[in-house]
Amino acid sequence: MRKSVSAMLLVAAMLLMAALTGCGEDKKPAEAPKAEQKPAAAAPAATPAPAKEMQVGFVYVSPVGDVGWSWAHDQARKALAEMPGVTTSFVESVPEGADAERVIQNMARKGYDIIFTTSFGYMDPTLKVAEQFPNTTFMHCSGYKTAPNMSNYFGRMYQARYLTGMVAGSMTKSNILGYVAAFPIPEVIRGINAYTMGVRAVNPKAEVRVVWTKTWYDPATEKEAAKSLLDVGADVIAQHQDSPGPQEAAQERGVYSVGYNSDMSHFAPKSLLTSAVWNWTPFYKSVVEKVRKGEWKSGAFWPGMETGIVGIAPYGDMVPQDVRSKVDARKAEIVAGTYKVFSGPVKDQNGAVRVPDGQVLSDQDMLGMTWFVEGVVGSTQ
Amino acid sequence: MFLPRVVKRQEPLQWGSFFIFAAALVVSLGVSCALLAVHGKPPLKALAVLWSGGFGGPFALEDTLLKSIPIFLCSLGVAVSFRMQVWNIGAEGQFALGAVGATWAVLAFPGLPMWAMMPVMFLCAAVAGGLWAAVPAVLRLRFGMNEIISTLMFNYIGILFLQFLVYGAWKDPASFGFPMTPIFPKAAIIGPISPATLGRVHWGLAVCAGVAVLLAVFLKRTRLGFELLAGGENPRAARYARMPYNLLVLLVMSLCGALAGFAGCIETSATVNRLQPSIMVGYGYTAIVVAWLSRLRVSSIACFAFLLAGLRVGVEHLQLDLQVPAAFGGILEGMILLSVLAGQFFDRYRFTLKGRS
Amino acid sequence: MDMDTALLLSILAATVQSGTPILYATLGEMFTERSGVLNLGVEGMMIVGAFTAFLATHLTGNPWAGVLAAGLCGGGLSLLHGVVCLVFQGNQVVSGLALTILGLGLADFLGTPYVGITTTGFQAFAVPVLADIPVLGTIFFRHDALVYLSYLLPPLFWLFMARTRAGLALRAAGEHPAAASAAGLSPVRIRWCGIFTGGFLAGLGGAYLSLAYTHLWTNNMTSGRGWIAVALVIFAFWRPGRAVFGAYLFGGVMALQLRLQAMGANLPSSLMLMLPYALTVLVLLASSARGGGRAAPAALGVNIEPEE
Repeated sequence: MRKSVSAMLLVAAMLLMAALTGCGEDKKPAEAPKAEQKPAAAAPAATPAPAKEMQVGFVYVSPVGDVGWSWAHDQARKALAEMPGVTTSFVESVPEGADAERVIQNMARKGYDIIFTTSFGYMDPTLKVAEQFPNTTFMHCSGYKTAPNMSNYFGRMYQARYLTGMVAGSMTKSNILGYVAAFPIPEVIRGINAYTMGVRAVNPKAEVRVVWTKTWYDPATEKEAAKSLLDVGADVIAQHQDSPGPQEAAQERGVYSVGYNSDMSHFAPKSLLTSAVWNWTPFYKSVVEKVRKGEWKSGAFWPGMETGIVGIAPYGDMVPQDVRSKVDARKAEIVAGTYKVFSGPVKDQNGAVRVPDGQVLSDQDMLGMTWFVEGVVGSTQ
Repeated sequence: MFLPRVVKRQEPLQWGSFFIFAAALVVSLGVSCALLAVHGKPPLKALAVLWSGGFGGPFALEDTLLKSIPIFLCSLGVAVSFRMQVWNIGAEGQFALGAVGATWAVLAFPGLPMWAMMPVMFLCAAVAGGLWAAVPAVLRLRFGMNEIISTLMFNYIGILFLQFLVYGAWKDPASFGFPMTPIFPKAAIIGPISPATLGRVHWGLAVCAGVAVLLAVFLKRTRLGFELLAGGENPRAARYARMPYNLLVLLVMSLCGALAGFAGCIETSATVNRLQPSIMVGYGYTAIVVAWLSRLRVSSIACFAFLLAGLRVGVEHLQLDLQVPAAFGGILEGMILLSVLAGQFFDRYRFTLKGRS
Repeated sequence: MDMDTALLLSILAATVQSGTPILYATLGEMFTERSGVLNLGVEGMMIVGAFTAFLATHLTGNPWAGVLAAGLCGGGLSLLHGVVCLVFQGNQVVSGLALTILGLGLADFLGTPYVGITTTGFQAFAVPVLADIPVLGTIFFRHDALVYLSYLLPPLFWLFMARTRAGLALRAAGEHPAAASAAGLSPVRIRWCGIFTGGFLAGLGGAYLSLAYTHLWTNNMTSGRGWIAVALVIFAFWRPGRAVFGAYLFGGVMALQLRLQAMGANLPSSLMLMLPYALTVLVLLASSARGGGRAAPAALGVNIEPEE
């Protein structure tokens, strides 16, 4: 009895204090964005007004130090913070789901102008909050839903993957390549497919074996997964993981590797051929500028290599010149738009034709890719 | 020579539990602030942000209240089982199975109207969660298997099972291959009670209130409930109870599982509106902390669930405003529990200065 | 040697590596439990060990400094458990759980800035002569120093328990503390030693993960190995020999499920990932059914009341 009474007293006291401190506090942030919109709308007509103060928030699904997915976004955030009149903030390791919704909502309440949510699982929470805060711009990465004030965006990483596949396919001797992958979601599957197509473009007999780790960042599991691929004869290890665990495994065994997210060469200088890297800075900068000028229109954005959003890291010393030239040439074609990665004929693992000769896989189909191309050994679950 | 000696109290300390918790809170916050200071973050400002983020104002209270719903339900179950010295730490897995059960009901009976859908969902969630807890109970009773380990392992297995379903058979064909079930039909979504006054607070709160009242009545007024309360404190007394001890254990574990299942159902339906792996955020472990703090007084559980939920919400604000890592919440929870455990010593003993004989 | 034998040998070698952190943690917890204290905080102590090992190695460049740091910090964390249970008579089960929550939180909090860095750590080397033994050489003698250290632990443990006065005292504290007290020993002091040693070894298990198994650190990198260690103590009937078997069994399963995928097995990975945990349940079931619970130290989990 005493315990419950005392606990209730404690809570009552807290509620009372909350009521006293909280009154009136929360009204202000909601009003702030409205007040700021007016000068922005007036600006184009007048002579260049001082750059509008922008608050940009980022929601990350993993720690920024991971030198992986979130790290790449955070590099761009830092670049934004150096723009005049822009302040940024971020929250990391936010679980997808209810917590995400609350975090995004808090950012919106605090008056952030643009909020970037950088993981697929944030899609529904972002949409819910977007509906409540029509004056805030929401940018959701790797999803498929939009709203008048919410866009989704991604980069055509598969183009970079294709090129890395070409490099890897040229360097393999055993014709078995390993791919340590996190979760069987379309972007990962698409990456594996593009990689495999690149491999087989230079080496039609090679195969790519996939091991799923069911984690984005767990060096121990990822390294062990890489080792198991090495044990079955793979001599190039690629990854769709955020940690350099697989790179370590490759270097220890003296074989080659391909990195992801960022240039992983300092983890495995002797084995790294190249990496498929993100560079979000140009895109993010353009978003901030457009919102600031009031020119931003929401939509679905999927820029490719020509904008610099994806690319490949500098080649390792071991990559010979003829391979480099071939890959660079193909890269130029992709940038120019003359070469499409998923152009037919493309068959799946079971031999069925998914893209007939002369056709190109549509964006829709690419975004929902759940099948593996010929040459991939592994389950899609 | 005068040394402090430890002497058992004749009767428990007056207002002891209140002081103990308050002292534990002070100690934990003190140590945590020291950690923050070492890390270069302003400790007093952090405390202020923690407070205002969790409890300072209507939005914060709304967030905290929402978060406390699943924690409360899980804690109820865990508290009941802890009272019987049945160490069920499987609330996470039971939560997951409850979510799975509710989703199964939604997918199996898509056309049901809300008045039928809701009870069916809750029933399936309770059955799934209850079964997931009953198996370790049976393993303990029949084979003497330690329930701490079995429930813990069942946590991992349960979560992986959920993943297996959403990556495979239950994947939404319209989700572009992402692991999630289709969005629940309106009839299966627990809606807000009154958006104008209470914001996003949903009917799950009413479920909590109902369950709380039922449980309190059950424990205080029925013979079975009394046996449950008494059984843990003194297993020998339990032997004179009408219900065999084994059955009591099974009942208690299943109840815990069913309650955690309810929490899973509510989270899936009201908050996320579909089943996906990210509904797992560790409520089951926070429930252990709450259960221990409150020792099976239903009203205490409600208060501590609210407090710990507020802590979690406040920590998110700490992240946003001061870039304090999210793990800070775990440190606070762990420290509070340890301090309370230590503090409960003073409920039973006191120090006196006595000469050595 | 053909491909399949080579593959089998590599799986077995990977088993040893994968089982090593579990072995350290299991032996540590076994030591603690033999003294009569149940410490469920193994997961927390392991992760703290993993982080401090990484940090110390990063700062000093010497992996052995990391190992020492891991042991001391793992042991230090476990002393909190000692304070709560031995001094304040706290419930041992809940205190251990709190320690896990605290340990995971501490390591994550302090360690966030260090995610994404790599250190030198331990490298594998072949033991001269022994590594050339066919089959066994490849499986056991081509690893790193911490693995070789772990080979020494089980026999040392057995020797200590069975053949030394201190070991006898430890067992007494765990079986019948009142009798130990009557014989002039201090069971509380013995339990302090038991707790600290358990924490020290758990810290070493964690250090292995961040210094040898990989040369990286991330929060939650223990992934439940601490809990498996607690289960294995029961499975091993509190004896070191079976602990070795159990640890390698688990290491093997963890390594195997990934290799099954690499070999092209078309099973859903979620189900395969369940294997270590499902196996823990089965293994524990088998040993409990055969009276495993009765092999526990008689006074395990029971606090010693302070003297009036």
